[in-house]
Amino acid sequence: MLTKDELEKYDRQMMIRGFGQKGQEKLKKAKVFIAGAGGLGAASATYLTAAGVGVLRIVDHDRVELSNLNRQVLHWHEDTGKRKVNSATQKLRKLNPEVKIEAIEERITEANISQLVAGFDLIVDAMDNLPSRYLLNKMALEKNIPFFHGAVYGFEGRAMTVIPGETACLRCVYRGAIPEEKFPVIGVTPAVIGCIQAAEVIKYIVGIGQLLTNRLLIYDGLNMKFTEFSVKRDPNCEHCGHLEGKS
Amino acid sequence: MSIKVKISEILRYLTDIQNIVEVDGSTVNQCLDDLVKQFPDTKKWLFDKDGKLRVLILINGVHLTELTRPVRDGDELHIIFPVGGG
Repeated sequence: MLTKDELEKYDRQMMIRGFGQKGQEKLKKAKVFIAGAGGLGAASATYLTAAGVGVLRIVDHDRVELSNLNRQVLHWHEDTGKRKVNSATQKLRKLNPEVKIEAIEERITEANISQLVAGFDLIVDAMDNLPSRYLLNKMALEKNIPFFHGAVYGFEGRAMTVIPGETACLRCVYRGAIPEEKFPVIGVTPAVIGCIQAAEVIKYIVGIGQLLTNRLLIYDGLNMKFTEFSVKRDPNCEHCGHLEGKS
Repeated sequence: MSIKVKISEILRYLTDIQNIVEVDGSTVNQCLDDLVKQFPDTKKWLFDKDGKLRVLILINGVHLTELTRPVRDGDELHIIFPVGGG
């Protein structure tokens, strides 16, 4: 049941065709795991909090640095040196006190990932490196949790939604990792992609619209173009090749 | 056989290659070999240290999972570079 305040707060989104109070109640019950409190995590967490998701668990092991502030807009100058999860949680709780925000200050590893995502309905991939993204992708497939991928480089961003056993996964698309390096990025790029991830999460929970599945969306901010490529499950994919389901 | 390869912006940034390259070959693998021959800098970005391809290849806009697939004159390959930043 929604409270009187919630009915007022979410009035405009409940007006969307197919959304309604039922959609809002679904959002209120949803538990979303956000891997990373950086540029993508800041954008997706902000809009999922504003939309009234029930529980957000944010996991990140880093502290706020000056060089983060051009894009990680949940962290402000005064937060430099603080744990990112604490800095993010503080802002998000002020934005919407009805959303339960769980902050976990840990590095996501093969050893702890299963425990970290346990009990969560969806995973938002807001990491800053490919090996961690593959780890999340694999765990999402193993636990049958929808996975919302986003990544950025400079003015370019990518997004794709994965429904385990049904649609192409991250590993079907990319076959390996690139050498790790400090990557260039302007704040508007993770803002665009993080919002796309949040939109996908909301659509999935509410059950409206068409998901970004079997499609890799590429945002080219320099030429202001969105391009999408059809991708498909790889029967030999080392992460999802063994899973049965619709392809 | 002349095949056009479209290079993603990121690979262009890393290797200073033009956005469209003409390559020769009768399979996708051979086309990639010719690309590396023409632009040796691309090798370390396209393949890992074990020689395994790490990019997304599309042929005429369709996701390719089998690199031994034959190509035809006028086919277009698209190389999409993995991106990990957040």
